[in-house]
Amino acid sequence: MRRIGVLLVLALGLAWAQGDGLKACFIYVGPIGDAGWTFAHDQGRKKAEAALPWLETRYVESVPEAQALPVIDRFVKEGCQVIFATSFGYMEAVLEGARKYPNVIFAHATGIKRAPNVATYMADFYQVYYLNGLAAGALSKTGKVGYVAAFPIPEVKRHINAFTLGVRAVNPKAQVLVRWINAWYDPAKAREATEALLAQGADVFAFTEDTPTVIQTAARKGAYSFGHYTPMLKFAPDHVVSGQIVHWDVIYIDFLKKVREGVYTAKNLQNVDYFWLLQHKAVEMGADYGVPINPKHVPLLKKAEMTVGGKKVSVYDRIMALLQDMQSPKPTFDPFTGPIRDRKGVLRIPAGKKATLEELLTMEWAAPGVVGDWPGEPK
Amino acid sequence: MEEALVRAVLFGTPILLASLGALLSERGGVVNLGVEGMMALSALGAFAVALEVGPVRGILAGVGVGSFMGLFLGLFAVVLRANQFVAGLALAALGLGASGLLGKRYEGVPLPQPLPEGGLALVALALALGLHLLLSRTRFGLYLRSVGENPKAADLFGVSVEGVRYLALALGGGIIGLAGAYLSLAYRPSWTDGMTSGLGWVAIALVILAGWHPLRAVLGAYFFGLLFFLQFRLQGSVPIPAEAFAAMPYLLVILVLALSGRARAPKALGQPFDRGR
Repeated sequence: MRRIGVLLVLALGLAWAQGDGLKACFIYVGPIGDAGWTFAHDQGRKKAEAALPWLETRYVESVPEAQALPVIDRFVKEGCQVIFATSFGYMEAVLEGARKYPNVIFAHATGIKRAPNVATYMADFYQVYYLNGLAAGALSKTGKVGYVAAFPIPEVKRHINAFTLGVRAVNPKAQVLVRWINAWYDPAKAREATEALLAQGADVFAFTEDTPTVIQTAARKGAYSFGHYTPMLKFAPDHVVSGQIVHWDVIYIDFLKKVREGVYTAKNLQNVDYFWLLQHKAVEMGADYGVPINPKHVPLLKKAEMTVGGKKVSVYDRIMALLQDMQSPKPTFDPFTGPIRDRKGVLRIPAGKKATLEELLTMEWAAPGVVGDWPGEPK
Repeated sequence: MEEALVRAVLFGTPILLASLGALLSERGGVVNLGVEGMMALSALGAFAVALEVGPVRGILAGVGVGSFMGLFLGLFAVVLRANQFVAGLALAALGLGASGLLGKRYEGVPLPQPLPEGGLALVALALALGLHLLLSRTRFGLYLRSVGENPKAADLFGVSVEGVRYLALALGGGIIGLAGAYLSLAYRPSWTDGMTSGLGWVAIALVILAGWHPLRAVLGAYFFGLLFFLQFRLQGSVPIPAEAFAAMPYLLVILVLALSGRARAPKALGQPFDRGR
């Protein structure tokens, strides 16, 4: 009994000593159980909490964009020193909250406006999409690759373009048939869009939607697919080839450490923007964690060949070499390196130039090989 | 073409089932706006049970959850004589919320043995036919319709208005539960929060569009299914924006309703029955 009492006092003492910890709070746009965007952010929060003993976190889920400011008010009252807002639509609320509470540090995911106490961050998939495009181009027998897309915004267009550039690098005649469902989350629409593409002959699939619907639907007809956002191998172990996986925790841990060390303060965030890629380990190429390519499909990709700089190489070797390069501290390869023309023939990236961050974030044009409606396509 | 017809039937099936369930209770005079929530919770119930003890018992669980929720609506709409519209909307919200909360642990879990959609589509078709015969050829159907048209007269003839309405809600709820089970066990064999994505509301609209007639609901549901498929099949190949296609089912409902004149609803629809008054 007495020993327990001593332990209790010790524990209390420790808790007391840790009083100088950091409290970080998260505003989520969806339910944690969406298996997509919000789920991934919450995984990041949990991993950050596990990695940083001095960190305490709070979150509120399913916050409508108009309700963000009251949640910020509440968080500040509860003593949150850092507030992460994880939806583009929270932008104005974050900026207003930042003016109201100049000593609180804000970070806005996918944001484009900053302030002395507002940073922006994003983990982006475009490199991974290019690599998956290479595999898709090698696996398609019909030369028709299906893409079920959420909303026609620059982020999604950038990913489809990178994917299509990859597909065409292997098979210059292939087409990427794009269908918009105008929803981040709508399994019924994703299902029927996939069925429509299957009916049109697509035999490999990629998508932007928050459920494994496209994968499950494609697998029923024996078509290959690429997972999105979280590991989705288990939904179709024989048909998922690879995919895009996010690691928000990498960004959260880096950011919070720098706040704790005093590198980031409420006065110097005006230029702090994370656009983290493979080299920062913020994203991963894989069917599952640590499985870049489903072993069942490796022989097929080894057999498939593509031409790089006039020489024949196996698609598998090319993917692995580029993956390694883009994961290294100083990547030499970027999918959006010129000359790149759009599907109407307009030169978008000049020869030898790499797309700038600005160009990546505002991309509206469609790459050659993209087939389908493209709202907002420049003339 | 063949592909489009298959999709029309397979995607029309959950809409058909849900609207048959709602139709049954509405013929008895009880409006059911809770369809979306009932579908969501029975989809979860079906999935959870299917995962533990197999898909057949999963279907039964879905039907059971739907029936139970139908009876729950009856508690407010029949016994307590609450406003049926408010009670239905509350049930929709409750079902969606509860399924999201309870379903967290089933997120991201694949179902090992999905059920064949084709078989269930046939069951739905048979149910529509059966419901039509039930309403037009049986004593219970007569009671149900009279309770929906003129509960006072039915009461005078010794029909238990409350009993018939309760039974209709339980049976209808079961059919709506089957719609939920179809979604999580066959159409998309996994569970995610909000996976009904508005199909319940489409089903409620279909009840009106079909003029409370089960066989017309079959045609309507398949028509919705066809439109939904074509929206993606034709996207990009005809110069019509995707948004216009997405709005088409709803525009068509309005158009058909406007052209067909007012579809005749059961006269006592939405009115609580109180013998004392």
